[in-house]
Amino acid sequence: MMKSIIHWLHSQPMRVKVLVFGIIMSTIPLLLISYYYYSNVKPDLEARIISKQELMLKNLTGEIEWEFNQIFQQAQFYSSIREKEDRRTIFYDLLLKNSSIEEVVITNESGKVEEKVSRYELNIPDTNERWFSDEMWVAFRSEDRIYGKVEFNQFGQPVMKIAVVYLENGSRNAVGITIQLQKIIGQISSLKQDNLSYIYLLDREGKVIAHQDYRRLWHQIPDVDNKEMLGVREKLTDLGWTIIMEQPKTTAYEPINEMFMKGLMVAVFVTLIVSLISIYAGLYFTAPIIVLDKEMRKLKAGYVVSPIILNRNDELGQLSQSFNEMSQELHEKSLRLKQEKERLDIVVNGIGAGLALVTKNFQVTWMNPLLEGWINKEEIKLPCYTLIGGMTTPCENCPITCPERNENADTIMRMQKGKREERLFRHRVFPLTHAIKGEGEYLLFIEDVTEEKQMEEKMIQTDKLSALGLMASSFAHEVNNPLATIHVYAEDLIERLEQSDDALDEDEMALYLRKIKENTDRCKRITENLLKFSRKSNWNVSHFDIKETIQNSISLVEYSLKKKKILLDVSIQKEMPCMVGDSIKLMQVLVNLINNSIDAINQEGTVSISAVQQNRRFVFKISDNGCGIPDQDMQKIFDPFFTTKPVGKGTGLGLSVCYGIVEEFGGTIMVESRIGKGTTVIVSIPAETRFKEDKQ
Amino acid sequence: MKTKWYLFLLTIMAISIVTYTYISNKDQKPLNIGIIMIGDSRYEKLIGLKKGMQELGYDDRSIKYSVKSGKDQEKTLASHIDDLINEKPALIVALGGIETLKLKEIMESQNIKIPVVFAGVAAPKEMGLIEDYRSPGGLFTGINNYHTSLSGKRLEIFHNLVPSISRFHILYDEEIKVSKLSLENVGAAAERLSLEIISWNVSDSNNFFSEMKNDIQANDAILVMPGFKLESLSKEIAQFSKENHIPVMGLYENETEDGILASYGTSYFDQGYQSARFVSSIIQGNSPADIPVEMPDNIRFIVNQKVKSELGIELNKDIIHLAELIHLNAEGKSQ
Repeated sequence: MMKSIIHWLHSQPMRVKVLVFGIIMSTIPLLLISYYYYSNVKPDLEARIISKQELMLKNLTGEIEWEFNQIFQQAQFYSSIREKEDRRTIFYDLLLKNSSIEEVVITNESGKVEEKVSRYELNIPDTNERWFSDEMWVAFRSEDRIYGKVEFNQFGQPVMKIAVVYLENGSRNAVGITIQLQKIIGQISSLKQDNLSYIYLLDREGKVIAHQDYRRLWHQIPDVDNKEMLGVREKLTDLGWTIIMEQPKTTAYEPINEMFMKGLMVAVFVTLIVSLISIYAGLYFTAPIIVLDKEMRKLKAGYVVSPIILNRNDELGQLSQSFNEMSQELHEKSLRLKQEKERLDIVVNGIGAGLALVTKNFQVTWMNPLLEGWINKEEIKLPCYTLIGGMTTPCENCPITCPERNENADTIMRMQKGKREERLFRHRVFPLTHAIKGEGEYLLFIEDVTEEKQMEEKMIQTDKLSALGLMASSFAHEVNNPLATIHVYAEDLIERLEQSDDALDEDEMALYLRKIKENTDRCKRITENLLKFSRKSNWNVSHFDIKETIQNSISLVEYSLKKKKILLDVSIQKEMPCMVGDSIKLMQVLVNLINNSIDAINQEGTVSISAVQQNRRFVFKISDNGCGIPDQDMQKIFDPFFTTKPVGKGTGLGLSVCYGIVEEFGGTIMVESRIGKGTTVIVSIPAETRFKEDKQ
Repeated sequence: MKTKWYLFLLTIMAISIVTYTYISNKDQKPLNIGIIMIGDSRYEKLIGLKKGMQELGYDDRSIKYSVKSGKDQEKTLASHIDDLINEKPALIVALGGIETLKLKEIMESQNIKIPVVFAGVAAPKEMGLIEDYRSPGGLFTGINNYHTSLSGKRLEIFHNLVPSISRFHILYDEEIKVSKLSLENVGAAAERLSLEIISWNVSDSNNFFSEMKNDIQANDAILVMPGFKLESLSKEIAQFSKENHIPVMGLYENETEDGILASYGTSYFDQGYQSARFVSSIIQGNSPADIPVEMPDNIRFIVNQKVKSELGIELNKDIIHLAELIHLNAEGKSQ
């Protein structure tokens, strides 16, 4: 019940809560105070009522007893008078002094009236009039004071007879007095009582002889302690009467009940006032909130809200002002956001790259239209590495699996497009700092680099062919020399065979043939080297010997070095480990760099080639003491087609291709040059190369 | 905003006033008690009633008296009673027998149920006002002033007071039932006491004084019976007594004050005072049918010494002990 009330209260608007709060705060203290006084005043009131009743009954019993005692004393006094003539006078006096006395009689020892003075009747006794009742007559013989029962006279008036016995001439006579009780009864019956309390008088037989409720007169009252009554009783010992004052508890507590009811009325009244105040306060406080809420909803729905105008300086006034400022700012920011979104949409849609949001679970939650066009929409539920790369496991260096690497996983991936076409994509992964969980914590940036890679390949091949073209005469000279040697040995051998030279024995013939073979091998090596260099190929990763690669490279430029009488200083660290990668590509770099050094030397210079392993990197240094590179050209040396060589001497692709290849190796290329002093090119390649291109 | 505040405060003030008025006026209506009397001669009863009510704890705020007086005109009494009934009092106090009988007649004819307290009626049972003294059984209750039954006793006391009297002239009103009943009572007592009585009907002739004067002898006396006409003739009777040297005994103290030798009966004041008990009992919820009719609390025997001296008569010294003696001349002046 309580829970449902609290639940109901929680669900109510604030104005109802303020109203309920006001009512509770106003009524509960009042009710508690009223209850406290009610419970404390009740016993006190009860004690006061009892005390008041006792006091009143004591007064009443005192008055009744005093009156009867007076009559008895007077009767005793008058009984002592012996003169018959004086008696009548005295009895008249008695009637005068006590208005309750109806008659006074003298009875003889037989109980018959001898003399009578009456207030209402003639003073002539009836013949043989017996005055005593049976009970009184019994008492007459033994007691001095005799009390009769409450009786009724001929007019229905309650009367009581009393008698005082005296001895005269040895016989028991009595002065009898009939007392009217109506005054006593009337006094008790008519006494005004507050709060429905009442007094009643019981005779010695328990009959009601006076009661404020006249219907109860002359009835027997059961002697039962009524718990519903507050009452006291006093006994009139001589008369045997009991006087009782009672008040129903319901009426006794009426003042405090009334007080409690008034308290309740006040509580209701206060509640009414507090309710009005609470309603007013509720409306006063909640009306601006309702307006704010309404405007907030409009704002939330995207409508333009009008400013809230509240002419108040309190917190709500400040809140409305803040709301106005906020809505204005929000409106402006929304506009900016729309602008930004428009730009972003243009960028995202026009960037030419695929964008996707990926969760930590590799689920793609969003793709830009371009990416959507690249992939099959039915596969969108697949993990990103399957969807994009067609792999079964995440990429090795993916930031999602290895966030500590702090890299973007700049990896080239192959993706099948159509049945035959295979495309190359470079994808990078950027962790989003303010991402919403589950909506994609990473941004995938995917570029189609197929054309770029093809162009790079073409550039490399062009550069290679260009180098081959430039080195063609060198190759001819290189091949020509062994061929000439072969020619000489072959002609000599033929002449000696034709001359049947006896000196030409088998040993000498074998020598001739070995020379021919050696030069043929040399030619073959040169041509093979040339063929290998000139072959168009993709990346072929293998373990290769650095020294051999350097030697092969040198063999291609050997003639040029000799031609310009350039001294070649080769320094290769002993026990160099094998390198992983494409040896032809490295050879192309070395050839390009050595050619550049040869070109930088006019005559008789020195070209140094060194190869060392430092800090898990292979460092190749090619230096010359040539003309050097001007500072103004240093910025452009890696630009494609930039060359300072005369036309026909270079394409301007050499260093650009070198840069591209070294980058593919994951390494760096650095050029230091001083005009007139020479140039040093340092190529540093990691020993554990991770290639950007997927070689699989 | 100012208008709202104004309306708000106005509402609270209105509710406060209504609630306060409701709470404070809840029990403040005074009880309306109607009083009917034949003439201003009964005014002493009203004073006694008010005194009795005060002593029983009723103040002027709790009781409102609507008093109607017939100005001693029996014919106008009915209209005054009608006026009183129209005021719808909680109860009516009739200050005499004639008023009570008229009231009963009108209430019965109009079927009106208002409790009535009669403040002194002689022989109410015989008059048909009540069924029984102990249980009146109707709407009427009050005081039997006992003047009818007391008539024989008054004859005895008068005779005891002036033993020399040989004949008693009884003044009664043939048109008043109480008066006739009282005469019967006196007749019975005279027989027991062996006294001679001569009755005179005051309603029979306008000149009964002159007729009675012609019949008066030495040692004659006049005994006045109850009846409002006779009560209103007290001064004329006193004058007659003085002129003819004839002792008179009446009922009320005011008659002795008017110059009559003696009176024996209950006083107007006492009857009014005693009737307050009945009024209180009815206010407290009792039905008049349940409240027994009471006899007078006090019967006063008053002797005017001045008149006694003027008459030159001797009084019995025994009975004089029962009497209250006053010293007023016929003009009511103390000497």
